[in-house]
Amino acid sequence: MNALQPSPLELQLSAYIDGQSNNEERHDVEELLVNDPHARTLHDALKRGADFGRNAFDDMLKEPVPLDLVRSIKNAPLPRKAVRLPGSTRRNRAFRPSGLQALSACALTLLVGGSLGYMIGARPDGTRAPQALASPAFQQRDWLDDIVSHFRLYSRQQNRLVEIGADRPADILEWLTTGTGVGFRIPDLTDSGLAFVGARLVTAENTPTGILFYRRTTGDNEGDILALTFSRARPETAKPIEDIRLDTSLVSWSTPLATYVIVAPSSAADLDEIAAKAAGLI
Amino acid sequence: MNQPSPTTDIRRDLVALLPRLRRFALTLAGSGAEADELVREAATRAIQKSHHWKGEGRIENWLFSLIRTTWTDEQKKRRRAEHATAAKSDQDALRPLASVLSLPEGLASAVLLADVEDFTSVEAAAILGITTELFSTRLCAARLSLAAAGSQTSERRA
Repeated sequence: MNALQPSPLELQLSAYIDGQSNNEERHDVEELLVNDPHARTLHDALKRGADFGRNAFDDMLKEPVPLDLVRSIKNAPLPRKAVRLPGSTRRNRAFRPSGLQALSACALTLLVGGSLGYMIGARPDGTRAPQALASPAFQQRDWLDDIVSHFRLYSRQQNRLVEIGADRPADILEWLTTGTGVGFRIPDLTDSGLAFVGARLVTAENTPTGILFYRRTTGDNEGDILALTFSRARPETAKPIEDIRLDTSLVSWSTPLATYVIVAPSSAADLDEIAAKAAGLI
Repeated sequence: MNQPSPTTDIRRDLVALLPRLRRFALTLAGSGAEADELVREAATRAIQKSHHWKGEGRIENWLFSLIRTTWTDEQKKRRRAEHATAAKSDQDALRPLASVLSLPEGLASAVLLADVEDFTSVEAAAILGITTELFSTRLCAARLSLAAAGSQTSERRA
């Protein structure tokens, strides 16, 4: 008997195991199972085969999922812009310089380029900048790396997470407003399943930065720590940033007075929604 | 008219279902690397077509179907190398999962969908894009083959 083309009896027994048989068929099969040893053997084999497959596939769920696959899904751009953060409003200014403007820009570029070239050419060899400062690693590190470092450090220290706890909101407001120079409110994010835990003051690339810590109270990632940071406006980060660094997701946005970042473990897929909500409340 | 639409992010569902999606992809692709690539491609399509998902029924049905159609498309582009099933070593063959994956094409998916994922025959047939009769035949054939493989494994251990 060809295993790839089962007999009618085998098909009947397989359908019986699945509960796909109607009353009459079920009655027939049950009678066969009582009277026919061959049918009983086949029935047992089919059940054994199903159990074998079930066990084999169950083991596979225990294997870890590749992190890069998780990241590629989480970082995949959505087809539509669902969230608009402050500062991300598109100004409808097309780049169409007039002839005079274009000529002026060319002349200015020539002047600046010539001056720089002259200065570099006239500089003695001994005054070159140290190589270390020009190395890619030095240039690539920015203030967001500092934010991520602080987040990773403190979110792993559950007993020393904050300097002032959520029970003293007035102290937090006074302290961080003075420390950072940024007026703010403590956003209530309980609707997003986040409970405020407390605050800290750190520096990110020499700028005082306030951090408000939240803990997830619901969902699969219950217990995860999220941080909302703010500092005086950083013109170099005027455009919103969505990024993952060292297994940490971050979303930034800016207003004319301050730059904000929301930081969370990279497993947080709802960070843009939380950022949008926090942006309206802080 | 003004009913609020659910703001769920499909990426979250995809990550949550990832182990199961990979497992299904493995029954189609036969190797872990190809399965991961298949899931990656199908997830990209799912995100791009997320507006097609109306929130009716289980999202698994839609995602599994998407993986299968993605695989079919990939197959059309390049016929899968035959060695994928033939190259399994004897050592691999002893592993239960390898026994399942070395089944003739289409049978491993049938067992997974019916006996593990608990889809009905109609749902599973729709996911695989085949008739219910063909699905029942494949499922039966897969169960018989696995019963034989299970017996062989027990004999080797004994």
